[in-house]
Amino acid sequence: MLATNERHKIGWGGRAAKAVTGLALAAGLAVSGLAGVGSGPAEAAAGRRVQVTGEVVDTWCAVTGIMFAYGTAHHQCAVWCAIGGIPVSIKDAAGNFYLVLRIEEDETNVAAPRLVTIQSHEVTVDGELVERDGVKYLLVTKVADDKGVINLTHEEYGVQPFGN
Amino acid sequence: MTHAETSLRRAAAMLAGLAMLAAPHGARAAEAWGIEHEKEVKLTGKVVDLLCALRTGTDAKTVDATDCPPDCGGGRRQLGLLTGAGKLHPAVKANADFAGATADLAPYCGRTVEVDGLLIANPAATLLMVQALRTDPKASFVKADRFLAEWARQNGKAEEWFRADPKVKAVIAADGVFGIRGLEPKP
Repeated sequence: MLATNERHKIGWGGRAAKAVTGLALAAGLAVSGLAGVGSGPAEAAAGRRVQVTGEVVDTWCAVTGIMFAYGTAHHQCAVWCAIGGIPVSIKDAAGNFYLVLRIEEDETNVAAPRLVTIQSHEVTVDGELVERDGVKYLLVTKVADDKGVINLTHEEYGVQPFGN
Repeated sequence: MTHAETSLRRAAAMLAGLAMLAAPHGARAAEAWGIEHEKEVKLTGKVVDLLCALRTGTDAKTVDATDCPPDCGGGRRQLGLLTGAGKLHPAVKANADFAGATADLAPYCGRTVEVDGLLIANPAATLLMVQALRTDPKASFVKADRFLAEWARQNGKAEEWFRADPKVKAVIAADGVFGIRGLEPKP
């Protein structure tokens, strides 16, 4: 695990990252077993500061729509999925999904405790946004506001899925 | 989406899951779930730590990368597949109920694997479900459900890991199934 100060050695698209990228391209990316992999472009993505407001959701259920995935009705499932290691996203009012890869000082993002405990909450976060290949990735630097669970969907949907 | 539509999709997904369980070992594993924008795919790429890949443009083997922990974080970082065409796909789901794909991919950090699964090319977010994988084109695909074995090793046997998990129990005990203390389902 990295120390907190180590995270700041390379900024988004910084000189070090570009040098590393160049070295990697020059050397060719190591491949084994399966042919034709690793020769594609490798660019460090540029991030920008954003503030996002929305509901914390389970990425898989919410994006695929395989079940009702919002608010109180889905809270228990969202906890299952977050602890099961499925990435957590924030969905804003415009329908954008922001896949959270970092939250505050936590160096891990699989079942990160902070992410688990804010499932289904309405939050406003400050962070760094990086978009690549059809995904908006968000590195949350601060949870600026947490209104808790305010999307009361259980009266209509019950407990989704499989009851409690 | 209406409640009826939601229930139908859920039923379709469950049936697809059952079909997967019945598939013979080594056969093509990808099975449709009937999800909008889904594509059954076989993707070959390098297993990468998503944060590391985004910051360096490459992978966890990069010498000077400072947000690239060893072994892609040892199972504690979200992983993805970096294809030969340079596409980075977050691997968000495994072939186990309510589980991500990190447990399946982490042992192959920095290595090339072939994933058999679903690519959900939703305009809102393109996601990869890993149903099976292999490192040798001549070998059989291995079902991507390593999470279950690892969970059982740590917690013992349970019919439904998600209801038996101590961390889940602690969160639900604190805030309830609806996430609001004191708000309980009707009996």
